[in-house]
Amino acid sequence: MTRRQPPSLVSSLVRAAALWAVPGLIITALALTWLSRNSTYRAFDEPLESAVIGLIASVEVADDGALRLSRELPDPRYQRALSGKYWMIGEANDRNDIIPRLSSRSLYGSSLPISATVRSSLALQEQEPVRFVTDGPDIDANEALRVVARQVILPNMDTPVIVLAAADRTPVISAIRTFTLTAVTMIVILTLGLIFAVYAQVRLGLRPLFALGERIADVREGRAAEVEGVYPPEIAPLAGELNSLILHNKSVVDRAQTHVGNLAHALKTPIAVLRNEAAMGDVTNSLVVSRQTESMAQQVDHHLRRARAAARGQAIGVRAEMDPIIDGLVRTLPRIYRDKDLQIVRTGETGLMFRGAPRDLEDMVGNLMDNAAKWTTDRVELEVKLEDEGFCLVTVKDNGPGLTPEEYATALQRGARLDEATPGSGLGLSIVDDLAQAYKGSLRLDRASIGGLKAVLRLPIARDT
Amino acid sequence: MRILIVEDDADLARQLKSAFKDAGYAVDVAPDGEEGHFLGDTEPYDAVVLDLGLPLIDGVSVLQKWRADGKTFPVLILTARDQWSEKVAGFDAGADDYLTKPFHTEELMARLRALLRRAAGHTTDTIEIGDLMVDNRAARAFVDGMAIKLTSHEFRLLSYMASHKGRVISRTELVEHIYDQDFDRDSNTIEVFVGRLRKKIGTDRIETVRGLGYRLLDPDAENADT
Repeated sequence: MTRRQPPSLVSSLVRAAALWAVPGLIITALALTWLSRNSTYRAFDEPLESAVIGLIASVEVADDGALRLSRELPDPRYQRALSGKYWMIGEANDRNDIIPRLSSRSLYGSSLPISATVRSSLALQEQEPVRFVTDGPDIDANEALRVVARQVILPNMDTPVIVLAAADRTPVISAIRTFTLTAVTMIVILTLGLIFAVYAQVRLGLRPLFALGERIADVREGRAAEVEGVYPPEIAPLAGELNSLILHNKSVVDRAQTHVGNLAHALKTPIAVLRNEAAMGDVTNSLVVSRQTESMAQQVDHHLRRARAAARGQAIGVRAEMDPIIDGLVRTLPRIYRDKDLQIVRTGETGLMFRGAPRDLEDMVGNLMDNAAKWTTDRVELEVKLEDEGFCLVTVKDNGPGLTPEEYATALQRGARLDEATPGSGLGLSIVDDLAQAYKGSLRLDRASIGGLKAVLRLPIARDT
Repeated sequence: MRILIVEDDADLARQLKSAFKDAGYAVDVAPDGEEGHFLGDTEPYDAVVLDLGLPLIDGVSVLQKWRADGKTFPVLILTARDQWSEKVAGFDAGADDYLTKPFHTEELMARLRALLRRAAGHTTDTIEIGDLMVDNRAARAFVDGMAIKLTSHEFRLLSYMASHKGRVISRTELVEHIYDQDFDRDSNTIEVFVGRLRKKIGTDRIETVRGLGYRLLDPDAENADT
């Protein structure tokens, strides 16, 4: 079963922040608009209410029942025709129509229409102001009036009158629209800014974690031996634990290899003694002891190499300079094969860094070169070539008898020896192949241009070489 | 020929000593690096078989010290350590050959003979001086194709003189190269051995150079000179 990868920390944290920030900001925008609209209308209504109170205070009922004002309202716009400010005092008849009794000059003979709903509200809330909207008398200007009205019973009158003051609310509508637009724009900008700030903050907060990831990659790629760098207190223990783990891993591998090596080395001398003793002693017993010691020697050799190989390719953060190892082999092999007048020619890249344990590189290149030196007539060629994708090719050629294509596969099998007459355990090429595979590399055999065997070893290199 | 074996495993040292003695060599054994270094430093060995994992001083250090002191005898490293880096370190320290344990005694013998041969400038295990042939591999000598019976000391004397044919060799040098350390050395016995050897291979083959020592005459070189 494959587990779904959890979403990235950055997107989770940004999403969580957006989850509360966006609705919060929308509610704030609505509240602000509502509050602003209310306060604007309150400010708009106040002069109208004053006007209504002023009208009630200054209206007089004449003896003939006619209404007149004892003094005009101070705002001169009530006097100018279709100015946008109007007042009216009217009476409701039986059919619920308003019969104007007295009105401002600005109304220019028109009336302020009142809906039945407003009429009933007025009747229900006598003395209390009722606010409503209606169309104005100036049809060309498309006036939208806001009206404050009260129903009162004037002295010397039996029936109630309705006192109305109205003003064109178009500027208010426009002001409210402008405010709303500005508020929404600001809120959108604020929301985006907030999300970006959260994103930046999260990135900034997680930066040490990203850096830690890169340092771990360095260790995995062999660029560093341990997780380097200084980290904030929240992450420092993690880096420390990782380093302890790497160190522990390395020490376990080293210890295991040392134990196996010690055991094998400790057995080799007694085996040599037994083998020599067998060679000198009673013939029948000697044969048995000789056979058994031979088998023991091969087993020790085999398991020592397998044990070494088993731990290889796994170690994290190890790398090895290739030049000293190759140079050492180039220097030493002619001394081992002194009788051959051996010439070893090295060409190609220098300064490369193998991404693995030095001992493994030594075993791979050493066994290939030893094999070439053993079989060559007098010449061994070694070439190191850089390949793409962090790999290099180490080619070892000799001018010996070589192998047939059918023998290539056999040569790579464990314990295979194509020539029993030449000393060797027959593990050389198979160990090289196993090791190369452990490092995700390969070993390929072919015919060399100079006559003998060509072995091409593909090995990973540390990237900063 | 005199060989030094520096090996801390007593059984292996005993076996090697016995095998080398049977092959006609004078053999000394040192059980640790300190004594090994001392013997190599003070005695004129023809070759050394050196273990690496030694008590007191390790083999590579012993070898480095000898080479630093100008000792040129061939050294064969015999060790359980089989890593390439260890071989490279051994050769870099001045080793002439490297054999890993467990090994076949015959292979060790063959490699040591090869070292001695190279040191003396020969190409094969047999040295021919006119009709005299010394077979170092079989530890035997032949005159005109007929095998001659020699004691181990007589063979060592002949083998050493054959390896340095034509050169005057002092009695002291002969003593140093044919006796091992434990032997009660007396340079007068050299005269006795030379006398016996002359009887077996022919009196005129070994020349006495008064006050200097002995020389195994090389008829080919004499003819070339004249």
